[in-house]
Amino acid sequence: MKVKIGLEIHVQLNTKSKLFCSCSTNSENSKPNKNICPTCMGLPGSKPALNKEALKKAMRLALALNCSFPKAIFFSRKSYFYPDMPKNFQITQYEIPIGKNGSYQLKNKKIGIWRVHIEEDPGKLIHKGGTIKTAQNVLIDYNRAGIPLCEIVTAPDFSSIEEVKEFLSGLISTLEHLRIYDPLNGSIRSDINISIMGGSRVEVKNVNGIKAVEHAIKYELSRQKNMVKIGKKIKMETRHFDADMGTTVSLRTKETEEDYGYIFEPDLTWIDLTKEFISDIKKNMPELPKEREKRFLKQYKISRSEASVICMNFRLAELFERVAKQVDAKLASKWLRTVLIGVLAYKNLSLRTAHIDEKKLIKALKLLESGEITEKTCKELIIKLVNGEKFDPANYVVEKRLKKVADKKELEKVIKDALKENKKAVSDYKSGQKEAIHYLAGQVMKKTGGRAEMRIVMERLKELLNSI
Amino acid sequence: MKYNLSVKEFLEKRKNGEIDYNDFYSTFLTNLKRKNKELRALRVISHSQKGDLNKGKLYGLPISVKDNICVKGVESCAGSKILEGYIPPFDASCISNVKKNSGAIIGKTNQDEFGFGTFSTNSGFDIPLNPLDKTRVAGGSSGGSAAIVAGLDMPHVSLGESTGGSISCPSAFCSVVGLTPTYGLVSRYGLIDYANSLDKIGVIGKTVYDTALLLSIIAGHDEKDFTTINKKAEDYTNYCGPDVPKKIKLGVPKEYFSDDIDKRIRDEVWNSIHYLESIGIDYEECSLKMTRYALPAYYIIAMAESSTNLAKFCGLRYGLQADPTENFNNYFSKIRSKGFGEEAKRRIILGTFARMSGFRDAYYLRAMKVRTLVIDEYKRLFKKYYALISPTMPIFPPKIKDVKKISPIQCYMSDILTVPPNLAGMPMISVPSSVPSVGIHIVADHLQEGRIIKIAYLLENRC
Repeated sequence: MKVKIGLEIHVQLNTKSKLFCSCSTNSENSKPNKNICPTCMGLPGSKPALNKEALKKAMRLALALNCSFPKAIFFSRKSYFYPDMPKNFQITQYEIPIGKNGSYQLKNKKIGIWRVHIEEDPGKLIHKGGTIKTAQNVLIDYNRAGIPLCEIVTAPDFSSIEEVKEFLSGLISTLEHLRIYDPLNGSIRSDINISIMGGSRVEVKNVNGIKAVEHAIKYELSRQKNMVKIGKKIKMETRHFDADMGTTVSLRTKETEEDYGYIFEPDLTWIDLTKEFISDIKKNMPELPKEREKRFLKQYKISRSEASVICMNFRLAELFERVAKQVDAKLASKWLRTVLIGVLAYKNLSLRTAHIDEKKLIKALKLLESGEITEKTCKELIIKLVNGEKFDPANYVVEKRLKKVADKKELEKVIKDALKENKKAVSDYKSGQKEAIHYLAGQVMKKTGGRAEMRIVMERLKELLNSI
Repeated sequence: MKYNLSVKEFLEKRKNGEIDYNDFYSTFLTNLKRKNKELRALRVISHSQKGDLNKGKLYGLPISVKDNICVKGVESCAGSKILEGYIPPFDASCISNVKKNSGAIIGKTNQDEFGFGTFSTNSGFDIPLNPLDKTRVAGGSSGGSAAIVAGLDMPHVSLGESTGGSISCPSAFCSVVGLTPTYGLVSRYGLIDYANSLDKIGVIGKTVYDTALLLSIIAGHDEKDFTTINKKAEDYTNYCGPDVPKKIKLGVPKEYFSDDIDKRIRDEVWNSIHYLESIGIDYEECSLKMTRYALPAYYIIAMAESSTNLAKFCGLRYGLQADPTENFNNYFSKIRSKGFGEEAKRRIILGTFARMSGFRDAYYLRAMKVRTLVIDEYKRLFKKYYALISPTMPIFPPKIKDVKKISPIQCYMSDILTVPPNLAGMPMISVPSSVPSVGIHIVADHLQEGRIIKIAYLLENRC
């Protein structure tokens, strides 16, 4: 079945102040309507003054997405009446966006990027005691009004949820690598355009976060498929995603495109993107995930797939580089990428949300590297770290007698004792019952309290048994 | 009367400590209130200014302010009912500059609602009367400012604002001086927008010197207004002197002397041109062919911008309010129907139409191109001419009772002489002639305020 998906993604840029005034952007930790001023409240007589930092940050993203820059930009007024919009128009970009005609390379496909532009965020509506349809009262918090948003519009090039997921995680890693987005405080909201088998385009508006995009697409695809199955026509419409229910509901059918009556924003002049300005941005471009991946191959000699997985997660890549300064890179790669991320995922956490004591993590990996603890013990330590338990890995290992039997002589003695004490198992093995070796290994682990490395015990048992 | 002084005399006496300011100020307020009952020029009289008024360049000189310029703590409505009760929490940048120089803000002047008009009859409050003939209009949209400047025989200057001629027109009608600076010379921060790409704050005063003085104080770059020009401060009163610039030529655009312009006005302007010739300033007839396109282009741009500016007035955050018991669309419509006057509604509808998809290219975008052509044409002429000289208004001020008979289009047409330089953002000054209610209009190239002040000063002080 032919599926066409395009995304319009709004990312809050992590500037300190708003796009057109000096109010703080830290809206999440403030009381409602505290971070406001005449400009972001649109009071009569107030004027916008452009925050150049936001412009620079958006230009970095446009560069990372291979967009071309115009010689100069201006802003436009997009008019529509809505209570969360202080001026009843939004200052955005229309004719000439900051970047256009870019692309993003997925593993097996190139996704077209139509445009990248900046605009101001509206305020936030709080539907008190209900949903958008049922709430009796609506409260408005304008702390968010004027926070810089970067809008990324893709071509309708996605043909599966997997492609969308790959793109979005790559995009977030790129945003974090560019230091222009704060995943803890900044939101990502998407409008999704979906059509199947050349049918009408349905727009799902204002989907908050990445997981929700996946759920919204999944729901919308099956809804559209069922419509086709029962022979109904899919209407061109705008739908709202209900995150709690995981469903989409119709907001309005679109007869034509909405008419926003765009005009130039006359309070802001043309802004020249001079060669010097652009080359300054290029010079100060941070390393991008794909460049980092290449560097990891050379610098740390890890495999391409390992490097790729690490670099798709900015925080993991940062952690890896710090850990790899003190621990063997291959070991670090394996343990962070599989064990740490696995434990986090099991607990429904991520490197963003969990607070892991990095020094202790490095200590644990060092104990493993030096052969003082077993892999099993190391994993146990990591689970405790993820749980946020307070302990010192070295002391803990001593107290709980988890130190590995690393001394070869000591292990040799235990193995030989086990052979002496279990004559029947030895003769069973010699007479062809090879599985008897597992029983013997079990006896060795019992004697060491599990502190021996199973792989080494097996190897030595085989050698000794074969030499008898 | 003992305080019947010019601004210049007032400042000198204040400097020398020859005026008891408290006595002056209370006399001023008494006279102002009396005069205002007669002329209805000010909507609000306020005298709450704190601070030492003995410092700075203005020594407590009373300044009235057009209602659309925000003064902190003083109700500012831009002449519209929809903003009734709105008290700005901040000063416009020009007000900050005036206060810094110890100007005494004494009130807000009546105007056409948001500046939408030529006679100040589209006011949501009082209609100011022309002190020269109280049955006639004072002009618009800064009508209250011009009326009180003309009517009050005391030292006082007024801050006005022009989008398409709103300083020049009432200045001509009331026979006072109106100076509209280059677009971007004076910060618009704190100005309640009509059309942002055209709005200019300027000065109305009894003499050219008065306007040059206040312009020197309010001009200059302001980081709060992105469109201000980064230009060094200048004392424009330096141009107020009797010396005649050598080897200059004025342009006399023939389109501005057509039969549509009242013959008495044309004759009077020619008298002034010949006077200037007599003191050694040459003139030459020239042509501004784009003039005929400037008016429609101006009205399209102005209305398109104003229709977006007026969107924010919906009774939700300030100004006129009601109990919001219905959905927001109905509530917004109710407040806007009640709060806006007829002309505001007309401009919202026309302006919205001009920027709708399908019409945007034909109207709004084309008008933007015409604006560039108009500017180009002016620039070409200013390579040759020191300044252009013409009548300010094509008509005498109509009687207030007759304004109703004037159609919107006829009303827009009366801006025909002031709109082109406003559209091009050129500085202009209207200076009274010897015939009451006839102004001489002088226009110069961007940032050549010195030139218009010079010529106006020479005309003002003709012997």
